[in-house]
Amino acid sequence: MAETKRGGETGVRCVITTPESTVLDTRAEFISVPLFDGQRGIGRGHAPFVGRLGVGEVRITGEQGGATGGLRRTFIEGGFVEVGHDEVTIITQRSIPAEKLDAAAARSDLEKLKAAPSRGDEAITARMRNEEAARALLRAAERKG
Amino acid sequence: MAKARALDRRRKSVKNIRKITRTMELIATARFKKAMDRSVASRDYTLRLAKILENIAAASAGGADGSEGGAALGFSHPLLEVRPTKRTAVLVLTGNRGLCGGYNSNIVRQAQAILGQWRSEKVGVHTSVSGKRGISALKFRGVDIDERYLQFEDKPEFDQVAPIGRSYLEAYAAGEIDRLDVVYTRFDSIARQAAVTEMLLPLKPPEAPSGAAREAAAKAAAAGLASDDYDFYPSAQSILEEILPASFMARLFKCFLDSAVSEQVARMVAMKAASENAGGLIKDLSRRYNRARQSQITGEIMEILGGVEALKK
Repeated sequence: MAETKRGGETGVRCVITTPESTVLDTRAEFISVPLFDGQRGIGRGHAPFVGRLGVGEVRITGEQGGATGGLRRTFIEGGFVEVGHDEVTIITQRSIPAEKLDAAAARSDLEKLKAAPSRGDEAITARMRNEEAARALLRAAERKG
Repeated sequence: MAKARALDRRRKSVKNIRKITRTMELIATARFKKAMDRSVASRDYTLRLAKILENIAAASAGGADGSEGGAALGFSHPLLEVRPTKRTAVLVLTGNRGLCGGYNSNIVRQAQAILGQWRSEKVGVHTSVSGKRGISALKFRGVDIDERYLQFEDKPEFDQVAPIGRSYLEAYAAGEIDRLDVVYTRFDSIARQAAVTEMLLPLKPPEAPSGAAREAAAKAAAAGLASDDYDFYPSAQSILEEILPASFMARLFKCFLDSAVSEQVARMVAMKAASENAGGLIKDLSRRYNRARQSQITGEIMEILGGVEALKK
């Protein structure tokens, strides 16, 4: 029944928006988003929720009319996801398509972070957060190859 | 002859100036369109953030008995806390270039007003200025500028604005500043831009949905129409805590975008006026030149006639 809703459109609408522009607006079969505590998959008819995002990859499978061979990967840095009525909205400060990730640059950034000294509780938590983000970026970049 | 030639020279130079102003007008028009597109594209982000806030507020209004509801409406966050102003920050957004009418001077005037106000209240001010024009104008007026930005042209990027925003958030959280005002040119429409001072920190609390909207939501829920019962991961409170800095960033970014758009509009209007004025000048100079030339010819004819008369005698 759900398949015939909205003039026979199938799948889930997926929108990724950043402060500068709406990066992506497409329909897909399945979307996997990096929530703050791990990846979560969203298919058609998912219960509505609002969640905080971590750093990681958004994986979009079965994109309609997509030229990327069925799987599109986009790296995002934090933000929020809103799921409702077969629509997934990802609001993030930064999004980079997986093709544009640079593993070498990501690795050197991580090395730099590791080498920098940090003192005090706040500095240490901030550093751990940054390191985690850098690691997630590196993971995403390496997966590309 | 001398007078006519001088007039002709002036006419030529005005014509050249008109060419330049006309070109600048066209460039400003093209840039304005681009800047406008960016500004429109960025609106989506703010709207969607606002929608999430609305959902949180609606969830808390609908489920008044839920513990989450109470947390959402009665939430507190350091960014929302209004403290007595002991030290404040002012960010002034001007352009790097002139020839745009009153754009820069309006901002400078506005900035001086607020800086003067803080000075008279004996409040310490951390002043940041973006744009060459504002920096030199304020320096000339004896304002101490703590931070200068020159990197913003007609396409401010979020990655450029984010570090500035973050430093303000950190300073606010650490209690180094109790307030942040941004002096910029707000873009209302293509015919209306106003130099304004806007307080960005402390943030204004997100509005709870109005009575009518709440009723509509309640009705829809009663009819079982909407499955608008959002779940929140990890919790509404935690999402609010994250959303507030994000919405601050978005608002700060919007100030930069608005300034960029307004600058192009101001330049467009100023250059259009300049071109038109040059056109009027050319017309006037042409008329005077023709008259001068004609009177010179008449004079010469009179001289010849006089000569002929003299020879006849």
